[in-house]
Amino acid sequence: MSSRRSSIDEEHEENHMDGDFEVEQDDGSRRQIRHQYRELMQNMQQNRDDMLSSRSNKLTDTLQAANQLFAEVFKPREAALDAQLLVLATNLGKEKASQLQADMTVFDPTSFAEDLLSFMGINRLENPDSDSEDEACAKGYLGADAWKKLGTEAEKYFKRTPTFHFMLGSFKTEPPIVRQKTDRQKRTSKVAEKKVMPAQLKKMEESHQEATEKEVERILGFLQTYFREDPDTPISFFDFVIDPNSFARTVENMFHVSFIIRDGFARIKLDQDKLPVIEPINQESGSQVDIDNQPRYQGVISLSHQDWKEIVDTFEITEPMIPPS
Amino acid sequence: MTQRRRGRPSLSQNTSRLQGGDMDMEEDVSFTQTLTQAQRNLEKHSPEQISLKVGELVQYLLIRDQKKLPIKRADIVKNVVKEYKDIYAELLLRAKKALLEVFGFQLEEIDTKAHIYILINTLERGEGDDLKVNDNTAKLGLLTVILSLIFMKGNTAKEVAIWETLRRLRVDPGERHEDFGDVKKLVTDEFVKQKYLEYNKVPHTDPPEYEFRWGPRAIKETSKLKILEFVSKIQQKDPKSWVTQYRDAQEIPRSQAPRASTSARS
Amino acid sequence: MAISESHQRFLQILMSHGIMEASAVRKLHKHCCEVHKVHYMHDKLDDFVDVINKHLQPLFMQIRKGTDENDGRRYYSLVNIAENEVTKMAMDYAENELELFRKAMDLIIDSDNGFASSTNILNLADQLQSKKMKKKEVEQLLQNFVQDKWLIERDGEYSLHTRCLMEMEHYIQSTYQDMVKTCNICHNVAIQGQVCDNCGIKIHLTCVEKYFKGHEEPRCPQCAEGWSQEIPRLSQTDSPVPSTSQKETRAGQRKAISVAASTRSRRS
Repeated sequence: MSSRRSSIDEEHEENHMDGDFEVEQDDGSRRQIRHQYRELMQNMQQNRDDMLSSRSNKLTDTLQAANQLFAEVFKPREAALDAQLLVLATNLGKEKASQLQADMTVFDPTSFAEDLLSFMGINRLENPDSDSEDEACAKGYLGADAWKKLGTEAEKYFKRTPTFHFMLGSFKTEPPIVRQKTDRQKRTSKVAEKKVMPAQLKKMEESHQEATEKEVERILGFLQTYFREDPDTPISFFDFVIDPNSFARTVENMFHVSFIIRDGFARIKLDQDKLPVIEPINQESGSQVDIDNQPRYQGVISLSHQDWKEIVDTFEITEPMIPPS
Repeated sequence: MTQRRRGRPSLSQNTSRLQGGDMDMEEDVSFTQTLTQAQRNLEKHSPEQISLKVGELVQYLLIRDQKKLPIKRADIVKNVVKEYKDIYAELLLRAKKALLEVFGFQLEEIDTKAHIYILINTLERGEGDDLKVNDNTAKLGLLTVILSLIFMKGNTAKEVAIWETLRRLRVDPGERHEDFGDVKKLVTDEFVKQKYLEYNKVPHTDPPEYEFRWGPRAIKETSKLKILEFVSKIQQKDPKSWVTQYRDAQEIPRSQAPRASTSARS
Repeated sequence: MAISESHQRFLQILMSHGIMEASAVRKLHKHCCEVHKVHYMHDKLDDFVDVINKHLQPLFMQIRKGTDENDGRRYYSLVNIAENEVTKMAMDYAENELELFRKAMDLIIDSDNGFASSTNILNLADQLQSKKMKKKEVEQLLQNFVQDKWLIERDGEYSLHTRCLMEMEHYIQSTYQDMVKTCNICHNVAIQGQVCDNCGIKIHLTCVEKYFKGHEEPRCPQCAEGWSQEIPRLSQTDSPVPSTSQKETRAGQRKAISVAASTRSRRS
């Protein structure tokens, strides 16, 4: 800016040296220019704080506006105003610079706290009964999630690991409280009454169910026969269910045997080699078993094609104990 | 299971530490092994057993991290490793590898004498990483304010000064706080146990005065420069405008020197 | 696919939430691929998760898929699958708090509608074998359970959150056995659901909706009596596969048979 000014000054001087040459400028526009200069200066004084703030570029903007004005200045009266503005601006600039140096070295916790509150979203309210003993700069309402908001920002500056949480295995398994059995037995007797199947089979599910029941009975029959012939030898579970000729039938056998166990007609134990063996349970009263009072353990067995082959080989199973229906 | 024949740095370090403190003597004997001894010990256990133990060890480390409490070697041995003590070093190495590979967690030793560990993240938090926000998030906010005050005031801050500023944020040690409960306990006890802060008595003060410093976890999980950036963001200033602090933040402590092989994970 | 940073970021974020809705998980998959500049394919989420699960298996953890009992919404959860001395050292809850949780679970499973009232749970606090708890502490604890997504609360009553079911499915089946009903359709544990007036079988609300869809006269699949309850009409974007968690359990149990198989081969 200063370089530009000197070139204009030179121009002016040249003009004056010529003596006769004068720039044409009417009074109206001169008055306007002087008015604008005064406005700029008033603005500088009224918005002093704003101009001083390190966050504001208003001082620079003002000087740029003054520059543009100066392009229209040809007479000393206006030039004097320009000089006046410059003095004001320089003073402001000096003060701003010294403040910058103060910002550079001093950390102010109060200002930091203020800025933190702003970040967290404090709601500054007009409170006429504000407590004079209140150290906080202004009464305000800090929202419920204020600290969470700050924390979310803070996470970005840390190399913190998320944490793993679980419930399973955190406490010891204990048998649950056994509830009154009356309700259950009421329902089971209801089922026994309505056991008569409708004559007309409408659903696929029903006929499928009947077939399952038939098969379960058939298999139970075999189990009881084997055991009657040789009551002292428990039957190996795998010997019983495996069909060496068909993996699919083996799976079906396992499925049907699970019903037998579930309904309490047979049980599975582990022999001394920790291998599963199956044996029928003697029925006392008809087909009603006291399901609820028996201790029960759930065991799940699944078999892959590979497993099935391995077992057939290992156990040397040549014939199925459950002949296909 | 691949038997590694090359020298394992952790083991050779152990052998040279025989001259350690008296208290460690007994412990150290089982941690100091020759290479062949280590090999033989490994072979005493089946690969499945070792694999199971490593799994348990990883679980243990993740569980201790739930509350951000540092993990002591003595506890690891007592609670997890137990009779596999003879292959402790190998187990820890494998657990460390698993944590890094699967989760991106780094097992860091914050106390090489007492053998205390913490987990830190190798992944940088980015925009769009929507982590769960809960009470711990709020606590981190409070902690960051305290770490900022400590650093900006020259790496140490008097307890009274900290509370004075926190009061402006509606956090008062005498009152129960909505998010933090007993704040005094949180700041002087929980954060200290987690190794985020150090809380020390200033000598020759009566009535006793206390001062705060950054704890070893804070040093590992964040940095002076990062906290300076945080302050700068809150105050909307250029980090360079804090000349002294900016210079202080440029010194890279040995523990934070960039590791060359972070990306080269075999 | 080898495990990489994109998998790690995914795992970390899922870990912090514990459980996430499938839609959020899909977004997360995209985000993680983009951040680490990995080629993103929206239909490869399952493969992406499989890679992580392969590495989680030796650590007794798993990312599981599950379904809400009532609205059929799909979820992903990072669960623990081990029960050992180490897992008992978990630090989220104290011993007496866990005892209360266990007893509350007993109540919930034993109830007809799958809910336990806060009053009944408060009464449990007096029966604790470990350190007793005051009423206020129990209320706060229940709030924590809800916040951590182990329980859900509705009108002052509590039931099990989908997250809890996804992690504890097998535990519940083996501990409660006949005390807990399983859904007649999908065979998973049924805490909340509709019960047949006649034969007493239970079906998840979401399974009821799928099974009876379009049926003019809904009938119980077990006893063929008319289904008296209102069939819900829910709109669903995901294709129904209710027995996902059962599939997972079966896969995990294949291990049991192969271990048994190896024992047998020693026999010969």
